[in-house]
Amino acid sequence: MSAASAQSRPALPSIDFSSIRPRPRWRELWLLLLVGIALSVGSVSLGATERVQAGKALSFSPAQSQPLLAYLGALLLANLAQVLAGRRTDQVLLPAVGLLGGISLLLMERLPQNLVSQSIGGMTLGLGQVQLLWLLLAVAIITVLAIVVRSDAWLRLYKYTWAAVGIALLVLTFVRGEDVNGARLVLRLGPLSGQPTELLKVIVVVFLAGYLSEFRPLLVEQDSRIGPLRLPPVPYLAPMVGMVAIALGIVVFQRDLGAALLFFLVFLLLLYVATARSAYVILGLLLFVAGSYLMYRLFPVVQSRVDVWIDPFRDASGSGYQIVQALHAFARGGILGTGLGAGLPMVGGRPPIPEVHTDFPFAALGEELGLVGVLAILGVYLVVIERGLRIAAAAADDFRALLAAGLALVVGVQAFIIAAGNLKLVPLTGITLPLISYGGSSILANAVVVGLLLALSDKGVEPPPPPRVGGRLAGLRSRLVQSGR
Amino acid sequence: MSGEGRLAFGRLRSAGLRAGRGAIGQNVGRAGVTLALAFVVLAAGAGYWQVYRAQELSTAPDDPAVVAAARNVVRGRILDRTGAVLASSKKDSNGEPYRTYTDPSMSPVIGYASRQFGTAGLEHTYDGQLAGVVSADPIQQLLSKFRADPNDPQDLTLSLSLKLQKAAEKALGNDKGAVVMLDPRTGEVLTLVSAPTFDASPIANPSTSQKAFDTLRQDKDKPLLNRAIQGLYVPGSTFKIVTSIAALSSGAITTDTSYPQQPKAEKTGLLVSGYRVRDGHHPFTDDRALKFPEAVEVSCNIYFALTGLRTGGQKLADWAGKLGFGHPIPFDLTTETSQVTNGGGKFGGGFKDDVEVANAAYGQAEVLATPLQMALVASTIANDGVLMKPHLALSFSSARNGTHTVAPEQLADVTSPDVAGEIKSAMERAVEGNFGEIFTPGAAVPGIPTAGKTGTAQLGSGEPHSWFIGFAPVDQPRVVIAVIVENAGHGASRAAPMAGDLMKLYFDTFGR
Repeated sequence: MSAASAQSRPALPSIDFSSIRPRPRWRELWLLLLVGIALSVGSVSLGATERVQAGKALSFSPAQSQPLLAYLGALLLANLAQVLAGRRTDQVLLPAVGLLGGISLLLMERLPQNLVSQSIGGMTLGLGQVQLLWLLLAVAIITVLAIVVRSDAWLRLYKYTWAAVGIALLVLTFVRGEDVNGARLVLRLGPLSGQPTELLKVIVVVFLAGYLSEFRPLLVEQDSRIGPLRLPPVPYLAPMVGMVAIALGIVVFQRDLGAALLFFLVFLLLLYVATARSAYVILGLLLFVAGSYLMYRLFPVVQSRVDVWIDPFRDASGSGYQIVQALHAFARGGILGTGLGAGLPMVGGRPPIPEVHTDFPFAALGEELGLVGVLAILGVYLVVIERGLRIAAAAADDFRALLAAGLALVVGVQAFIIAAGNLKLVPLTGITLPLISYGGSSILANAVVVGLLLALSDKGVEPPPPPRVGGRLAGLRSRLVQSGR
Repeated sequence: MSGEGRLAFGRLRSAGLRAGRGAIGQNVGRAGVTLALAFVVLAAGAGYWQVYRAQELSTAPDDPAVVAAARNVVRGRILDRTGAVLASSKKDSNGEPYRTYTDPSMSPVIGYASRQFGTAGLEHTYDGQLAGVVSADPIQQLLSKFRADPNDPQDLTLSLSLKLQKAAEKALGNDKGAVVMLDPRTGEVLTLVSAPTFDASPIANPSTSQKAFDTLRQDKDKPLLNRAIQGLYVPGSTFKIVTSIAALSSGAITTDTSYPQQPKAEKTGLLVSGYRVRDGHHPFTDDRALKFPEAVEVSCNIYFALTGLRTGGQKLADWAGKLGFGHPIPFDLTTETSQVTNGGGKFGGGFKDDVEVANAAYGQAEVLATPLQMALVASTIANDGVLMKPHLALSFSSARNGTHTVAPEQLADVTSPDVAGEIKSAMERAVEGNFGEIFTPGAAVPGIPTAGKTGTAQLGSGEPHSWFIGFAPVDQPRVVIAVIVENAGHGASRAAPMAGDLMKLYFDTFGR
């Protein structure tokens, strides 16, 4: 902290386009080629299985591979664009994320296409086609963010604006949102519709990174004393209380348990990253337990979710149907899986698991790719998390570190919550599996996360601005520095 | 994976330290390790469901894959012995197949395959073959993943004749009862009719399934009960053939054996241990003491009561056991167990006392038999004392596996050809003899020597059951029949003429 403040204020750098030199990204290219081979093998296997199931002769059909080729082409273009932009950004993140997106594409092509139907310009697109469009858009977003974002000032300086946007989004969803399975998840504005919580999670991370980096010295070094108890500075617990309140608000008003759990866990983790004070985490967990118990007693929707979680087989054809079907899918997959396209026996013309493309892609992949595939997918998520946290650890200042860590954690925690829900390790909630579940909001929000992480990973350009002088913290901070040194 | 995760996050921590963001770098590393541990828990959870619980869940009857195999596979057809289609499949609006059945007379045998109610009858017994599901052999299971269609549904050809089956069902009319016809040389069952019957097609049709099944279950006539194999009836005089086999085979009597006290006992009743066994008097035999063939011909209860006593309960039960009494008959369908006594008695063979043996010997007391069991008794006599295993499945065939024929099997060598021959000629007299014709009108197939035995099963109340068992032609029998009509009076009045008509139809259809 003192290192940053000791620096003299640098001049705001302007982008000098003549200085941009192409910089080869061989590592990324090789990894992308490996990803391309793996996905192509999956695509050919899926095509063969589908042809055989349709009673046709085995033959290679290029039409089958077109969506995947388009997707792989987009990934290669992303690599090329970054080469030309010449930035020294992370080279593992894009292939890892690309692999997850490719798995998503294969899965959505394999599921019944009529699960989704969207009319665009007179054409009706099915599940796989729509998901392909979202994925192509996601690659574009990642690339643009990775190339263009050279300054974090727009995130850093306007954290309260972002917070206001987030709250506005919440309020708008509450007022105008549409209910999905009893939870108010979807917001429709004109022709656009989406799940605001997906965007909200990015905004929350930006706000927390800004807030925590600003108040970090106080949160780390100050104590409140109540008698013999040493407690964290109570006034600066406001964000925590605020977050708990927001999380509770989401649950109470929108009945979106997954998002509430996600925000709360990310908040606790980020608070720990910022302060290293276990007291916060313990206090937060205590609040969480108390809050959960209260909600269990107060809200029937929470109660029924928990009851179904404890023993879904008791009502296997009713409230426990979805999760029981998911567990059967995992069981059918076994160690090696049934193979892409060979699992998910149809029940009455539909896949056995309701909402498989949004809530249960993990179970579907568990069946078709087996335990081996499940472990591989978890491994790829760990790679994404590890790259994100590595970027955080190597970041030039607190804001960037917390932002990168928050972005990585939000992906990791979300993947954990829904995967654990699929596996009956925690009560099931309706959030998406990042980068794999069907859905524009989810795919695009996670693309923003990945794009920002890539941009943050560039060590070459633009040092962070110096800590702001003036404002209400300036006096406190200077006193601290004087007394501490 | 956990090891790798720790390593990666360990490096990450040191990278953070190197970059000079010591505190946050370390905290990031700790958060990363926490998350990595959470992912290890995920991996363990996946392992629990995909390895530890995999077998149990993936083979559960309500697993969609198990249901889908039964539901998406177009089951093999079921054909009668001439190739007439008895069961085939149609497709519903979802493209999923369901069963339709040609004739309701076949329903008690074939049963049904329904999405809602599972399988019953032969559809149940041969579910695996008809659906063509792969074996439990893990290698076969693995290989099936590389097959276009892992299922190999087989067509099932039955020994039944649709024509005879329909005729028998029609002959029973509105009565309750059963008809079993079989080939004594091979055990091939030609007819297995239970009345009242039901139509299995609405049960198999998903749109009418529930209603049809509910109606059938509530029907007080119990059409879902296959009376031919699950109905237990008092066999009456048809059981005298069993007593004859036991008595002649054990040497307790010869065909010349007669009992001096028999004519008088017909009028006064036979006193056994203070209990009187009564029988109607046969006026046309005067006061003559009958020998074995005559006793069969006029169906003399006193003669067989005395024969039973001379044979003894143990031997009676032993020979009945060889014929199938006392244990389930090995068959394509689940059969009810016929019995000569309730068992547990101290008097040999499980009988309570000699009074029970005397009454059982002519088919009363606690004797209960299924129509199939009584057909097997006649079949043993017709096949020179050798009982062939009754069966319905003749062959299985599929494009992939070719045709597999079910070979006839011997079930038991019950008695000698000599004893069988003696009983056979006595049974011929019962149908074709001077007195027999009076007792057994209409059972004789015109132009073909016929043998048989009627039965009139006296019940506690109501009209007796009308029985007939028999076979033809006498010298080389090709068809055996057992008929029971519930509460239809004397065997002579209903069962015997029906048997004659059906055997005539057999010879008209399959040649004389």
